[in-house]
Amino acid sequence: MESLKKILPWLLWLWLALVILGAFLYAPAAVGFKGSSRILFFHVPMAWVSFLAFLTAGVQSLRYLYAGRERRLDRSAAAAVELGLAFGVLATVTGALWAKVMWGAYWNWDPRQTSILVALLFYAAYLALRAAVEDGETRARLASVYAVLGLVVAPFLYFVMPRMAEFTLHPEPVINAAAKVDMDGKMVQVLMASLAGFTALFYWMHNLSCRIQDVADRKTRSQR
Amino acid sequence: MLPDASSWAAEATAVFAKEWRCELRTRYALSTLALFAFTTLVVVSVSLGPLGVTKSQGSAVLPVLFWIILLFSVAAGLPRSFVQEEESQTATALRLAATPSALFCGKLAYGLTVIFALEALITPIYLAMMSLAVRSPGLLVATLAAGGYGLAAGSTLVAAIIAQARSKGTLFAVMAFPVLLPLLLLSIELTRNAMGGEPAGVALSQLLLYDASVTIAGLMLFPTVWNP
Repeated sequence: MESLKKILPWLLWLWLALVILGAFLYAPAAVGFKGSSRILFFHVPMAWVSFLAFLTAGVQSLRYLYAGRERRLDRSAAAAVELGLAFGVLATVTGALWAKVMWGAYWNWDPRQTSILVALLFYAAYLALRAAVEDGETRARLASVYAVLGLVVAPFLYFVMPRMAEFTLHPEPVINAAAKVDMDGKMVQVLMASLAGFTALFYWMHNLSCRIQDVADRKTRSQR
Repeated sequence: MLPDASSWAAEATAVFAKEWRCELRTRYALSTLALFAFTTLVVVSVSLGPLGVTKSQGSAVLPVLFWIILLFSVAAGLPRSFVQEEESQTATALRLAATPSALFCGKLAYGLTVIFALEALITPIYLAMMSLAVRSPGLLVATLAAGGYGLAAGSTLVAAIIAQARSKGTLFAVMAFPVLLPLLLLSIELTRNAMGGEPAGVALSQLLLYDASVTIAGLMLFPTVWNP
């Protein structure tokens, strides 16, 4: 079991390396998109992971509030929000780069661009709230309430609002009303592999962050 | 132990009455909000008015500026209702006196009446100074009512959160704006439609849906924010 745990990060490294190779060598460029379409294999998973991170934060916060008030759950939520912000910023930047190539400008007020920006603002405010409260228990309680509020706000921003707009520059989402996948088969394969890889990457980073915080917490408590 | 409906209503009404009684003694929030809103309005009018905005520019920009004035006035004056409880240390007495949901509704009603008063003051002045014609006054009133309610509900919940933190003023703005942004976008669109005489479309029902969501979220989350 221990040796399996040691091997997993290396397997993840290998998986992601294969994804990168696949993105450039195996999958074709999308029809009419030139080579720039390959950014999709990284941009989409990062946006997805940021949503997953915020969802994780909301769930951990719910568990903190209603299943025992264990501080490690609150710390886990904070770690998830930090990672979600990091991946979200990367998704926005890669999206802006792609927008410059495809749509001519870095920022177009496309509904999806705008809504992810608002989501990032929302969770940056979460970190600002954490920084502004000194007492640990109060901080955990208030931040958890805000993260639970985010469980309503984030799905609305990521999935409802972009589909509500009459006109959007983004291509039809893979999960669309026609239940039809419009992409080339190889592209779908690489995209799914990338999604899986990035999801695993997030959970690994989150797990590391929580373990580091646990150790730091044990150290502070033993020094008292 | 669930309180019966009549005592709940009595508690909420008592909180509402207390808020207004305290407010009328000092008139702090009313004067702050009114002065802030009026000053911002004058800045906007002085900057834009002499330039002579064309009709199309006007319909694009003026509803936006109106709601920004409202938003910043609310951010300036409304959080005080909770911050003051913590500062004057009356929060503990309030925790003993009222159930959280009754307290939330009482504070929400207070915020609502303040915002409606502010809107009643600002809207005619804004329309007059910017020479704006409103083709659908009914839609404008509905937008001000629904948008004002959303502002009050969102602000009350966030004010309760930041009252227990430091750097309350800036933190309120940082936390409230992402939550209030959908409300703002919908209200601006509806105000634009009211001025231009276009139908409300689906935006009004979306605004009412937002109002309902914020109210439910506030009622469900407030007890956890309020009680340690």
